[in-house]
Amino acid sequence: MLSILSTRHSPATFTWIRVLLVITAGALGLGMLVENVQHRQLDPVAVLEALVGWSFVACGVFIWARRRDNRLGPLMTIVGIVWMLGQTMPLVADPIMFTAGSWLSDLWAAWFALFLLSFPSGRLTSRTDLAIVGVYVFVTVPLEFLWLLFWVPGNGLNALAIAPDVNAAHVIDTVQRAVIAFGGVLLVIALGRRWLRSSGPVRRQMAPVLAGAITILLQSAAWILVPFGIAIDPLHDLMLVAQIAIPIGVLIVILRARMARSGIADLVVELGQTPTPARLRDALANALGDPSLQVAYWAPSQDRFVDAAGEPMLLPEDGTSQAVTMLERGGVPEAAIIHDAILLEDPGLIASVASAMRLAVENDRLTSEVEAQLQEVRASRARIVEAGDLERRRVERDLHDGAQQRLVSLSLELRVARNALGDRGDPAVRRSLDRAADEALAALSELRDLALGIHPLILTESGLGEAIESLADRTSVDVSVDVGPERYSPAVEGAAYFVISEALANVTKYAKATKATVRVRDLADRVTIEVSDDGIGGADPQVGSGLRGLADRLAVLDGTISVVSPVGGGTTISAQIPTVQPTTPSVPALYAVPISDDTMEA
Amino acid sequence: MSTILIVDDDPRFRAQARDVLAMDGFVVIGEAVDGASGVEAAQALQPDFVLLDIGLPDIEGFEVARSLAVNGPPPWVVLTSSRDARAYGRRLANGDFLGFIPKERISGSAIRALVGHP
Repeated sequence: MLSILSTRHSPATFTWIRVLLVITAGALGLGMLVENVQHRQLDPVAVLEALVGWSFVACGVFIWARRRDNRLGPLMTIVGIVWMLGQTMPLVADPIMFTAGSWLSDLWAAWFALFLLSFPSGRLTSRTDLAIVGVYVFVTVPLEFLWLLFWVPGNGLNALAIAPDVNAAHVIDTVQRAVIAFGGVLLVIALGRRWLRSSGPVRRQMAPVLAGAITILLQSAAWILVPFGIAIDPLHDLMLVAQIAIPIGVLIVILRARMARSGIADLVVELGQTPTPARLRDALANALGDPSLQVAYWAPSQDRFVDAAGEPMLLPEDGTSQAVTMLERGGVPEAAIIHDAILLEDPGLIASVASAMRLAVENDRLTSEVEAQLQEVRASRARIVEAGDLERRRVERDLHDGAQQRLVSLSLELRVARNALGDRGDPAVRRSLDRAADEALAALSELRDLALGIHPLILTESGLGEAIESLADRTSVDVSVDVGPERYSPAVEGAAYFVISEALANVTKYAKATKATVRVRDLADRVTIEVSDDGIGGADPQVGSGLRGLADRLAVLDGTISVVSPVGGGTTISAQIPTVQPTTPSVPALYAVPISDDTMEA
Repeated sequence: MSTILIVDDDPRFRAQARDVLAMDGFVVIGEAVDGASGVEAAQALQPDFVLLDIGLPDIEGFEVARSLAVNGPPPWVVLTSSRDARAYGRRLANGDFLGFIPKERISGSAIRALVGHP
């Protein structure tokens, strides 16, 4: 029978099947009411009975149309149709119809049991469930047939009564009632156990099924009590009301699952703000309606999943109440969402959540990568500047230890030679020696200027203040120096010195100034530098590479430089250098723990 | 005749300074290769002058000059270096020394000029 659910059929075929079923159900229900009106007064119970059928068919068809991958819809539709056939066919005054209807009259219970046990997927998941459904089928099909062979109805329309025997029929009927009541108890136990094992959201989803279990209990009680002449009408009415409510309850559960997708929008917003792992978990749990949800991150270095704190995590195995949705990139796992297995029943929902999170993970991975690269670039720039400074010191030292010493030695040697000669010897040789001594001194002087420009030893030996004083002494314009005795890191002192030295060089070369001022202020977290002159102004910071080079050098230390140079108003160069070096920027917290491993390698 | 101790790690400079100063009428009564031995030699030899290199391998010349001033009657300390005065700035302005002469300008007259008499 369930072969009609096969996807071999086109959607249009299904639509037609559903339309036909709805029409059939409508007609059957109306038939029940009309028959009822013809025979008796319109009994509220008959209305309830028709509503049970309509409720099952209407809700079943709706779910069937919305969730084509789920057998629940078709199953509910079958329950409704079979129910109504069992109610209406025995009313027809025709032996064949009456007999078939009587045979069918309890068959709905087997479909109902199948529906309850296969909730929410529409598929039975265990042999126990199958066995319980088997009990129902056994009672409602072969035993019912056997009973029909003996049963003598009041209207005498039983076409199968080949050996009418009231006693035999009664015995079979009693056996049927006992067995089906037993099956009912088993079913209620099975559903109860499933409910107890489930997590919160699933328990809520199972509410209509529990109502079904209650009807089964009521039905079982009715089946047991009727042979004893005890008919509890309110019990029967209550059962009918429950049966009307069940499909509606299932429909609401299914609709709520669909509505849950609107939570995806909230999730995407939350993920866009790079939440902490805890907030990510909460957002996912909210979107999926599963408070037990957990997120595991793949740690490539450990070759296993870890939680947000980096502790190893074991993923649940297949067939348990929890399921795993894996987030992969290029076949490599990145993260896993551990959630209630029931959520697999809405593959669209879990897929939406997974792709939202995949985007967030990817976004975060790219952010971390860019962040790591940026840090690497900053670090390498700082290393280049540092290496440059070290190299300058080495060159200065080499000059001092090598050429400078040799020129000193040469000068002294020439002086010794010249003194040894005294007033004697060839005057031309004496003059030549004097000139050679002067040349040696001049070479030495130039070499010292060069060494000082490469690296001012006084800066590392005595600090910025002394170095600037010394620099001011060597500058042709009058420079007033206001620099404290504070010492800073070599990098900061180096940068400050080169800013001032470049500024003073510009004052000498271009500003046509009579005097200049150098002011260095030591603030709590930074040092400010100001070099101003009374020159012609109009300096264009865009022209020439000197200032660009200074800006680059300061940028290494997160420092800044600015130039104010109105035409005719002198030039002021201001710079700021942080003396407290910033800590490394924090990697976004979301996936920092596990994913940083491979982003750092990248 | 003034006596002088030469403290420098460069043997070539010590030899040349010895020649130059001897020519100018100084008696070079000793040589030391570093700060520590320089202080010892000064205490042992009690020279009138110490020609002291700033860039010694163990202790900086400024520091050696301070030690010499602490122990006993101080000799006149003349600091020298193959770098010129710009490399040391204000550190040369005052201290436990007579003055600074760059190495290539070392001579008896330069030292005497520091003392203030020719």
